Amino acid sequence: MTDRITVEELAELMKKCAGATVTPEELRRDGAVFEPMGVDSLGLLGIVGELENRYGTPMPPDAERSKTPRQFLDLVNSALMAGA
Amino acid sequence: MSEPRTRRAAVTGIGVVAPNGASTETFWKSTREGISALDRITRDGCEHLPLRVAGQVRDFDPSAAIEERFLVQTDRFTHFAMAAADLALDDAGLHRSETDEVPFSVGVVTAAGSGGGEFGQRELQQLWGKGSRFVGPYQSIAWFYAASTGQISIRRGFKGPCSVVAADEAGGLDALAHAARAVRRGTDVIVAGATEAPIAPYSVVCQLGYRELSTVDDPACAYRPFTSTASGFVPAEGGAMVVVESECTARERGVRVRAHLAGHAATFTGASRWEESREGLAQAIRGALAEADCAPEEIDVVFADALGVPEADRAEALAIADALGAHGTRVPVTAPKTGIGRAYCAAPLTDAATAVLSMEHGLIPPTPNVVDICHDLDLVTGRARTADVRTALLLSRGLMGSNSALVLRHGATGASS
Repeated sequence: MTDRITVEELAELMKKCAGATVTPEELRRDGAVFEPMGVDSLGLLGIVGELENRYGTPMPPDAERSKTPRQFLDLVNSALMAGA
Repeated sequence: MSEPRTRRAAVTGIGVVAPNGASTETFWKSTREGISALDRITRDGCEHLPLRVAGQVRDFDPSAAIEERFLVQTDRFTHFAMAAADLALDDAGLHRSETDEVPFSVGVVTAAGSGGGEFGQRELQQLWGKGSRFVGPYQSIAWFYAASTGQISIRRGFKGPCSVVAADEAGGLDALAHAARAVRRGTDVIVAGATEAPIAPYSVVCQLGYRELSTVDDPACAYRPFTSTASGFVPAEGGAMVVVESECTARERGVRVRAHLAGHAATFTGASRWEESREGLAQAIRGALAEADCAPEEIDVVFADALGVPEADRAEALAIADALGAHGTRVPVTAPKTGIGRAYCAAPLTDAATAVLSMEHGLIPPTPNVVDICHDLDLVTGRARTADVRTALLLSRGLMGSNSALVLRHGATGASS
């Protein structure tokens, strides 16, 4: 389980942890931002916790402050790569 | 009161989610008919506990009423609150398009007795079962008894004064009084009320220590206040929210003033000291009547606290007589909550909803499951009683010692007083 975290997995976690329904395509889109999707910092924190439990790797401390899916995925994937 | 008459607090919308109906219409129909919704507890994890009977809200689908992103971060008590707030706002004709124009003119006040017990239990089980890394971040807000005020205001974009009343069961009436004060001070609209969800394993266990709790297992006999077989109260979930609005704003919007919040007072006489609640409740009634500038004889119906504990019932009957004099033994008294149970802070809110509907329909609903009164009260039992209800007195006491009284006036009365 050291693959990169994909937009598909992020979409699944946004649904599970924050109750936000978005497609991977929407997350991939240029200019995609979390806030209008209904995901706040507590929602992201839940996603971070879930990722840490799944991958057994601590995530960057400010990951939940990410404004965009791209920023978030870059941060968590860099942690994942470093931990692998 | 020194506030200008134009800032009188009116009720313009009602939203109920209760064991006998998950909409105001169903609730009123069941209440009017005296249908009892008390039943054996069927919630998972509660079946083995010594509390057998409760008022459960069975026909409520949270996912049909609330967006998923609000559902995942809130407990059932907040689901009820958000749904009831929507019903009340719709009833008042206040849709998002209207409130979005004036977000600072709308506030929220709720009261809650315990908060999100079911959500909290789930997360604490994660903590002890799997470890702290498995506790979700929404635990930080969902269990909190203030959650409903926050979530209603966030979800609907309200930016007016928001608050939470933590004052025992009687806090439900205090929340209405607080809303009325906010309106008199200048806020146009306050969404006010209380909902509770105490029928879940952890929450039920917490209640088992109350000596006032009825553990009778027959739903028809478990909650019979004012009778010689009174054996305590039956808990319930659900509740009601109402729209409290400045009378002049309501008239400008062209909506009906359903009732006025005319007077309120609260006292404290100590936890489970029921004999002393007589004096405290009588004093609260006198205070509420004085603020409403209302003579005892003007009260057309009393919605009793009706705890179902003999000494508490006696204290309440005597308090009504102390405060209303001879009128206290003649005025119709009712306790529709014997058909739905006692949802702590929310119990006086469903009473407030019923009081407004009673005025509009000219009908005092009965006290289900109760016969053979052993107090000097004219308790409405059996079937609803036709009556011209202009002024209602609502009473509430908490297990921790709070006593409150609220006077509601019919919307068409008292305009020139």
